[in-house]
Amino acid sequence: MNKKILLYISLASLVVAGGCTKNFNAINTDPTQASAAQYNANLLLSSQQIEYFNGTMGYSGALLMQSMWVQVLASAEFPSYYSNGDKYVASGNLTTYDASLWLHCYNSASYAYECQSLAKTAGLSNLSGVSMIMELLDIMNVTDTYGDCPFSQALQGKNSVNLPVYDSQQDIYTSMLSKLDSVLPTLDASKPLPTNDIFPYKGSVTGWQKFGYSLMLRMAMRLTKVDPATAQKYAEKAYAGGTFGSTADDAWVTFDHNDGYNNNNTSAWQTAEDFSEVKWGQNVIAYLKANNDPRLSVIAEVPKPGSDSAAMENQMGDTVYSHQIGMPNGYDQNGGATDISKAPGYPGGTGSGKTAYPTGKYSRMAIGEYINLNTPAFAINYAETELLLAEAAVRGWNVGPSASVHYANGLTAALQSYATLSSYGTIPPATISAYVLAHPLDVSSTTNSLNQINMQYWITTGTLLDFNEAWTNWRRSGVPALTPVNYAGNFTQGTIPRRQEYPTSEASTNPANYQAAVSKLSGGDQYTGRVWWDK
Amino acid sequence: MYLTAIRKLMPQRRRLLMAAMRVTKLIAIIVLGSGLQASAGVYSQNITFSGRDVSLEKVFSVINKQSGYLVFCDYSIIKDARKVSIHVKDASVQDVLTECLKDQSLEYEIVDKTIVIERKKETAETAAPVPPPIDIKGRVTNEKGEAVPGATVSVKGSSKVVATNDNGEFELHGVDQNATLEISSIGYEKQQVKLNGQTSLNVQLKVEAASMGELVVTALGITKEERKLTYAVTTVGGDQLSKARESNVALSLAGQVAGLTVHGANGGPGSSARILLRGMPSMNSGGSPLFIINGIPMDNTQRGASGEWGGSDNGDGISNINPDDIETMTVLKGQAASALYGTRASNGVIIITTKSAKKGQAQIEYNVNALWDRAMNNTDFQYEYGQGLEGAKPVTTTGAQNSNRFAWGSKMDGSQTIQYNGQNYAYSPFKDNIKNFYRTGPSLTNTVSIGGGGDWGNMRLSASSLDNSSIVRNSGIDRKNVDLNGTLKITSRLSSTVFVDYIDEQDRNRPQLSDGPGDPNNFQFLAPNVDERIFAPGQDAKGNEIVFSDDNYVTNPWFVVHNWINSTGRSRLITAVAPKFNFTDWLYVMARVGYDREADRIFQVTPTGTNYSFNNAGQSGQFNGLTNQTTSELNLDGIIGASHNLTKDLHLDATAGTNFRTNQYEYTQINGSQFIIPFLYTPTNVLTFGRNYSYYKKQVHSAFYSMDFSWKDMLYLSTTGRYDAYSTLAAGNRGIFVPSVSGGFNFSRFVQSTPINYGKLRAAFAQTSGEPTGGPNGTNSGAYTDAVYYGVGNAFNGTAVGTLNGASGSVENNMPVVPNLYLKPFTLTEVEVGAELKLFNSRLGIDADYFTRKTRHEIMSATLSEATGYNSTYVATGSTQNQGVEVQLTGNPVKTRTFSWNVSFNFTHVANKILHTDNANNNLTEGAYRPLNANTAFIPGMSGPQIIAYDYTYDSKNNIVVDGSGLPIRGSKLVPFGGVLPTTYGGLRNDFTFGNVNFGFLIDYNYGNKILSATSYYTIYRGLNKMTLNGRDGITTGVTASGAANTVTATAQDYYQRIASISRNSVLSGDYIKLRQVTLGYNFTQKQLGNIPVFESINVSLVGRNLWIISKKSPNIDPESNFATSVKYAGIEGTSLPSTRTYGINATFKFKK
Repeated sequence: MNKKILLYISLASLVVAGGCTKNFNAINTDPTQASAAQYNANLLLSSQQIEYFNGTMGYSGALLMQSMWVQVLASAEFPSYYSNGDKYVASGNLTTYDASLWLHCYNSASYAYECQSLAKTAGLSNLSGVSMIMELLDIMNVTDTYGDCPFSQALQGKNSVNLPVYDSQQDIYTSMLSKLDSVLPTLDASKPLPTNDIFPYKGSVTGWQKFGYSLMLRMAMRLTKVDPATAQKYAEKAYAGGTFGSTADDAWVTFDHNDGYNNNNTSAWQTAEDFSEVKWGQNVIAYLKANNDPRLSVIAEVPKPGSDSAAMENQMGDTVYSHQIGMPNGYDQNGGATDISKAPGYPGGTGSGKTAYPTGKYSRMAIGEYINLNTPAFAINYAETELLLAEAAVRGWNVGPSASVHYANGLTAALQSYATLSSYGTIPPATISAYVLAHPLDVSSTTNSLNQINMQYWITTGTLLDFNEAWTNWRRSGVPALTPVNYAGNFTQGTIPRRQEYPTSEASTNPANYQAAVSKLSGGDQYTGRVWWDK
Repeated sequence: MYLTAIRKLMPQRRRLLMAAMRVTKLIAIIVLGSGLQASAGVYSQNITFSGRDVSLEKVFSVINKQSGYLVFCDYSIIKDARKVSIHVKDASVQDVLTECLKDQSLEYEIVDKTIVIERKKETAETAAPVPPPIDIKGRVTNEKGEAVPGATVSVKGSSKVVATNDNGEFELHGVDQNATLEISSIGYEKQQVKLNGQTSLNVQLKVEAASMGELVVTALGITKEERKLTYAVTTVGGDQLSKARESNVALSLAGQVAGLTVHGANGGPGSSARILLRGMPSMNSGGSPLFIINGIPMDNTQRGASGEWGGSDNGDGISNINPDDIETMTVLKGQAASALYGTRASNGVIIITTKSAKKGQAQIEYNVNALWDRAMNNTDFQYEYGQGLEGAKPVTTTGAQNSNRFAWGSKMDGSQTIQYNGQNYAYSPFKDNIKNFYRTGPSLTNTVSIGGGGDWGNMRLSASSLDNSSIVRNSGIDRKNVDLNGTLKITSRLSSTVFVDYIDEQDRNRPQLSDGPGDPNNFQFLAPNVDERIFAPGQDAKGNEIVFSDDNYVTNPWFVVHNWINSTGRSRLITAVAPKFNFTDWLYVMARVGYDREADRIFQVTPTGTNYSFNNAGQSGQFNGLTNQTTSELNLDGIIGASHNLTKDLHLDATAGTNFRTNQYEYTQINGSQFIIPFLYTPTNVLTFGRNYSYYKKQVHSAFYSMDFSWKDMLYLSTTGRYDAYSTLAAGNRGIFVPSVSGGFNFSRFVQSTPINYGKLRAAFAQTSGEPTGGPNGTNSGAYTDAVYYGVGNAFNGTAVGTLNGASGSVENNMPVVPNLYLKPFTLTEVEVGAELKLFNSRLGIDADYFTRKTRHEIMSATLSEATGYNSTYVATGSTQNQGVEVQLTGNPVKTRTFSWNVSFNFTHVANKILHTDNANNNLTEGAYRPLNANTAFIPGMSGPQIIAYDYTYDSKNNIVVDGSGLPIRGSKLVPFGGVLPTTYGGLRNDFTFGNVNFGFLIDYNYGNKILSATSYYTIYRGLNKMTLNGRDGITTGVTASGAANTVTATAQDYYQRIASISRNSVLSGDYIKLRQVTLGYNFTQKQLGNIPVFESINVSLVGRNLWIISKKSPNIDPESNFATSVKYAGIEGTSLPSTRTYGINATFKFKK
């Protein structure tokens, strides 16, 4: 009898044990993360901003490539990953560096896209608008760097758009400008303001509007070579809408090393060898010296003699004005024909024996100004904006005061901006005004004006370490005139790269659209190809 | 003398005996006592007598009185004999005589009713009485009474041997009636039968364990007779895993089982294994079969592996198991075999049965195993040109440092040449870097086990300690295993098995692989004149790393081995308790609780002084993490089973049950960077902090049944079904039912006149299912994939920062995964047909299978273009097909009493094909190698994973097009260059036994796969590859874009560095034949150890593993080289440890009870 009861119990428990899945929904809810309903969309604003800087600084590309392509910096080492920039010679990881801007800027844009969608649901129109501005900043960086890229179908993976088409850069610019044009007026201070904003605006709608119009101006000016009419239309719109009015409007962040957010340029230079071998380019120092520019004293220094102390980032160098020398691009220390000692005007090295430092007399980034992991970085600043307006004015467009005024504003702001990076870079106001007064815009010809303005743009963006912007503006303006390096084994047949190759992953993750985009590039997916506005 | 004469006459018996008695009378002093009573009265056959210190005379007299036996004896020989004390009751005459002549120099002989006493003779002189030979007829059957044809019947001590006929019958003529017969047949235990004059014999043979007729442990721990199986299984005995052992026991299965491939990572002792059954079963399931230990699933998760960006192989679950505890490993290859496991069986199942004690056999055993690993040098570099760039050797220290890893210098001429340290060294070949840098890695395992059994059940307890040093200095593993396995019989109906395996494993400094930081293998690409010893000790007086090359992210290996820390510790408990109640002898119910819990502690430090880790304040090092993670799986099974004869000929075994499974995982990590107090490696001594946390839980509820019918031991039919419901899937898509049907036909009786003495055909259809993988917590758990989650990362200057689907707390490069609400379990459907034959009296066995299997709705993680805003997504569109043939041949070509030779050969051919990938049927990117210019991918229509690499650019006439510098232009697309998994593989095992000596070796082979070799890339890029000898004075090749012959000469360095970037040149063939294992052993038997009181037997073996690559086609590398064992990184190698040869000794001591 007992046996039978046991048997029935066993059978019954078998049936019951297998049956219950009621608590599966609860089990399959991640207890460590939030749902959309629980979440504060504003949290994704800071993420967008951080990822934008991750895409434009340090080893993510610009430091290893654009900084030296546009000859702001130089490195006389080979082999080295700086050969990608200095010599257009591929290092082992070129493909990774090459893909990095794409990765980070789309990641930033993805945060922006998700933020917009959450913000719309939550009725946070200002947050949505601000996120759209960030998204456009990201996409602009991508298209300026690579050319055609996904935009109209981008960022919609959640809706199963897994193979976004590459839009032509022309369409992207048209669309970006029109989106900015429509979203900026909708920002409304009477509605909830964004929080978690790491720009100095701290959610201010006015600040973001100025940022948005300054971005519109930057976009418009990109088109001067290829579509001056559109360029003029939007430059004028931007000015009318209200671009930055002073350096107080600048968009920048101070990094937070203690929480794992480094200035990626400085972070790269934490590596002693990078630090001792990366120098200011010859032309940068020469131009500053020729104009007796006070900035030279805050950006450059000659390291203490010998390779041992040069590698140490707590040993400030020699800032004596006349000692500063920029290094030419395209050299190495391997004893051959391209050895730095064979460079014209080679000043000799420092140290000897084990501490021999063949590039020891060339100027490097001043430790006081740049070498801190929290050193701020700019997204867009007033100085650049005024210089662009100066060019617009030179072109006769309706952007308020004369080109000379905009130029003087830009130059003044530029000289003030080094203080934003570090108090070490503070240039006394009197020195600034004297310098600006002594260096008015050359209005003798349009060409001279444009040359001078874009030279300043190059110096300013370059020495504020926005290397992408320096390179992009060089491609657009042709200023300064640079002599390409032609080092053995380079990937551009001795020309300065004019775009980046698409990330190699695109060939496998989005092959048809990638191939279609490549087929529109003459010569294929090469560093020598040109983006649409760079024809 | 006269007695001798009598003795000689004895066979003639009575008549002659009487004559003898007459002779004896002349001197007979006997006849004792009350006179001769030989013919009188009724006597008892037995003697009852008690006396102390009595004379033999008296004893003999008693015997005579009580039994009537006459005792003949020369008085002179007994008068000095010792007196005896004797107490016997109803004892035979013989016993009494034996007792009282014991220890005396006398012996007796009984002839009819006469006893003759005489002095003991030397044995040799003794002519034993030879009974007349007899003729024997007999029959050999198995336990079921069925005839065993072809069994060998031999007469012990003679050369007479016969074999049984088809009816199991045999005849032997002229056999000593006291002889012992030895009956043996393959698959049965050898039996000895003492004839004792019998002329007709019936011998029943018992099925031998670990043979072809064995009982096989199948799904859910149910044992079946192998001949009843309707699908393919292979069992490997523990002795084949524990002698020439590997630190990961799974690797010992390599080459032993048809259909199975096992490959390890070159990551030092305790590294993980890639185990694939029947090709690559699916794209998304990771490949590893489900491991079941004593009936319960055990975790075999990879605990961290290297990728293109470095990392270390932290081992897998199976590597924790001590081979000494394994009785058998049974490989269930087909889905029909594993279908009862439903969810996780799609990759096959490997069942581990641990050793247990047997009733009445108390046993104490000690095993010691000592092995030595030596690095193998597989390189074949050029040694003509030395260090340097663009044809020139270095002339400065900087130049020397920058070119330490480049062999683009001038011809080596022995001249004194400057090095990075300012000293000069001979510019001449140096070939001993691998030999010098890697040490001999000893490994010592001690295992003690005790066991016994009785009416209460049985119990075996073992304790084991492994100390295995890596060939990399300061690296190795320590493992302790305590294993308890037993059965308790509580009542006659209720019993319970109990199994506990406790594992404590401490791994010292698992090496970083593949990428440069912290990689101890960075000296592998030194220029051919550079001696790595000049970079020792790798650090200056302050403890700071001395950078040895152009790249400080390529850490100085001397600095690594002295300073880097990467220690992983695990304590693990696997337990199973399974009470079973038998209602009747044919019906039982069983409950089983299985629990596997792993607690890992991982401690990783980039040490103070590591060059790339310095900050601008001169602080250095990184606290890479203190990680605590626990993984647990709880299984509750309820099973009811019956075994019943439905009719006289039809038998049914039926089982039904439920399974309730819960998995849980929790991971906590703290990390930081730059140590404030140098060299103090604690989590609090850092400038900046980080933390990570991850968790998941999931459940599966299942119910299953199986029914096995057998008819007359001729036809077998099995069917199973299983329903699983997964918590990881959205409601409505949670459940899936999978069936299997299989049948077998034993046709032995229809082919009796052929050489086939056993034959079976089998066929099976089966389906299994699998659950989704992936998941936001980086654990591949499949949990939480049906929603987007939002998280929070580190604050930025006090401002909170959000993340998407990111548990790692970083906004950077942590793009979300697109959620999918519509996922379902995927299915794998297989059809298998096979045959098993034994021929020539079972001297030859053939077991062959054909299978075809296909997955549907595989849930794929499709990598997305970052432009989608996400980095991957889940799609249920994957489909993989495998078709193949497996053949296992076993033979016994020579078999004599003193010598036997066993051969086993297995062969597998598998054609894998990816039928469909993601929704757009794109190529799915898998792993890459460190140079990053090629990777592997799943490509529809091709076998997976394929290597895709860059080709040259060709013009319409197929000429290689070069650019303006005369360098070949890399093609624009990654194109396929072959699959990374072998298509044809197997092994050949030979075992020889000569008396107490045994010798065996295993050869395995592997064909049809390609390798993506970073070694190849680096050796070409760095000028070490012999290929780069061609054109050192400049190369003019190819055509220009216009089709004209190129006239621009490129330097060798420029040319080959371009060639390296055209990554097809890094794709090598993975074919090999290897001498995997050799063992030479000697058994000291009990007889030989007779004088040693302690041991019952000792077995000593000399062993070797991975001794010789007999054939390979991949220059500079071992074709099995791998830095990771996941399918993702299969066939990708570079900058990992050299492969090792292992030599050693194994000794097993069995102690006397």
